[in-house]
Amino acid sequence: MATGFLSASSFTAAANSAKHNPRKWKIPPHLKPGDVIGITCPSGFALAEDVAPAIQYLQNWGLQVVVGKTVGKKDHTFGGTDQERAEDFQELINRNDLKAILCAHGGYGAVRIIDRLDFSPFKKYPKWVIGYSDITVFHSHLHAYVGVASLHAKMAEGFPSDPSIFEPVQLQALDTIRKALFGEPLQYAVPAHVRNRIGEAQGILIGGNLKMIETLAATKSDVDTRNKLFFVEDVGEALYSIDRMFCNLKRSGKLSKLKALIVGSFTNIRPDDPKEPFGKTIYDIVWEQVKEYDYPVCFDFSVGHQKNNVALKCGVPHRLEINNTQTVLTEIQHP
Amino acid sequence: MIVPPYLKKGDTVGIVCPSGFLPAKKVTDCIHVLKSWGYQVRLGKTVGNQYHYFSGTDAERLADLQQMLDDPEINAVLFGRGGYGLSRIIDSISFRSFSRHPKWLIGFSDITVLHAHLYQRVGVASLHAPMAAAFAKPDLSSVITLKKALTGKKQSYTCLPHSFNRVGSVSGRIIGGNLSLIAHLVGSRSALQTKGAILFLEDIGEYIYNIDRMLIQLKRNGFFNQLGGLLIGGFSDCKDTEIPFGLTALEVIQHQIKEFDFPVCFNFPVSHDIHNVAIKHGMAYHLSVTNKKVLLKEI
Repeated sequence: MATGFLSASSFTAAANSAKHNPRKWKIPPHLKPGDVIGITCPSGFALAEDVAPAIQYLQNWGLQVVVGKTVGKKDHTFGGTDQERAEDFQELINRNDLKAILCAHGGYGAVRIIDRLDFSPFKKYPKWVIGYSDITVFHSHLHAYVGVASLHAKMAEGFPSDPSIFEPVQLQALDTIRKALFGEPLQYAVPAHVRNRIGEAQGILIGGNLKMIETLAATKSDVDTRNKLFFVEDVGEALYSIDRMFCNLKRSGKLSKLKALIVGSFTNIRPDDPKEPFGKTIYDIVWEQVKEYDYPVCFDFSVGHQKNNVALKCGVPHRLEINNTQTVLTEIQHP
Repeated sequence: MIVPPYLKKGDTVGIVCPSGFLPAKKVTDCIHVLKSWGYQVRLGKTVGNQYHYFSGTDAERLADLQQMLDDPEINAVLFGRGGYGLSRIIDSISFRSFSRHPKWLIGFSDITVLHAHLYQRVGVASLHAPMAAAFAKPDLSSVITLKKALTGKKQSYTCLPHSFNRVGSVSGRIIGGNLSLIAHLVGSRSALQTKGAILFLEDIGEYIYNIDRMLIQLKRNGFFNQLGGLLIGGFSDCKDTEIPFGLTALEVIQHQIKEFDFPVCFNFPVSHDIHNVAIKHGMAYHLSVTNKKVLLKEI
């Protein structure tokens, strides 16, 4: 249920996030062989066969897999009714033996159930929530309201039934989920982009799908980006819409006090009307909004709706180094 | 809320394009009609000007709008078209001179940004009404409501009952516009505060799931908690996903507001289609929704 935040001005939005925004994010324990991981569909539907390869992979990693009741359920585009999806997710939240929750599919629907969920069991038994795209709702909510770290990564539907059909980069991206869950230190290097703003920064990592971040503005799931390493990505949006969303980020104060901005991929950009091309690239759009600041900015980072979408720990401190040859993002363990 | 002076014969209406590109020939009918109403017309430099998608660079669009706002010889500003672009310049506009010498600013769609900003930050009423393209249509009934509004005539609008309507009556300031823009403004200093207000919403070309998502955003922001009343205008050319969402746009809206009890009217004549009556944004209206009819009356 809506909880009656008073207004939408940036001042009250800031006050809201200050009231709820945790200073420290609890990091769920890393997994060991034999631990239990659940799979559920909080957004769009996934069929049993869509998640079968993921189950195989997770078992090969030595994990026990609990398949939620929403897997295989279908209510139009959703993985079950709001009630069914919320109940399934809640059951996984409530299980003390469970160490992680892997979302099966994005699409749309997380924001319809997020306020029905009770995350209080996370205080004692925090778990890694894993996914991206629509699952940004969970990352933001866990960051802004619950105070628990989470894993921005590929989902259950993203595992191959036959590894030979996948490119090495896809298999490597999937393996970063294993590394992240089992506590191997994460480090990612991507080639330098000519539009990068070089520099070094250290801070808590947070971000996700740009459209979802805009949709959460001035709600209780709205992230406070101050002093953070902030990453964004999106898919299937028109350039004007991406520009408008960056205006929203700026006008809602999300770009002014960053430690760094990490721009992932913007894929399948919706074509412009040929008579009125937007005339700016994604690089131009971002640059216009951040040129007045001096924090480091990198482009084409390996996050987004693409093959190379690596596991990123939201709510966990990282170091970012952007130089003339490459960008390196390194998790800081035991901060 | 400051009410700008109404227009007299011989007054001057400026036309500018603060957002998307508009070919100059598209304002011909508009100029002709405004002159037939007894006004002089002044075209801004952005009319017919093109910078890629936009009617000029940010600097050009800003300068043109600023000049029209500040020029004492301009008595009202009609926007050529919407599209996208006001969000890029809204924080650079100075309303210092304008708030001392307010004038009617007229438009809709992307102009929702300006209406909301005027209401929240400047305290000046404005006109949510047809723009230049509407003057070229065969049916000028909505354009006529703009003509009446500009001369200070108080107007009442009725519409047919709709099975989704929720009966009730309320008086309050009327605010609103394009749903996508209203959602986009949430979190910014131009975001609407809806307590006690009559809110109107319309949109065009949106995915049904996205309408659902935007309404949830507004709901989670507390937008509907103390709302006085709601007018749902046109949701034209809605798009659906490959696997259908399973509800129409109007069903989505009905579903998302069912937990509240303010009066609601569907199919109100505000839209990107031909029916788009002039509404004095920020001013007081009385809304009455009964089983037999809907009446929105300017107080």
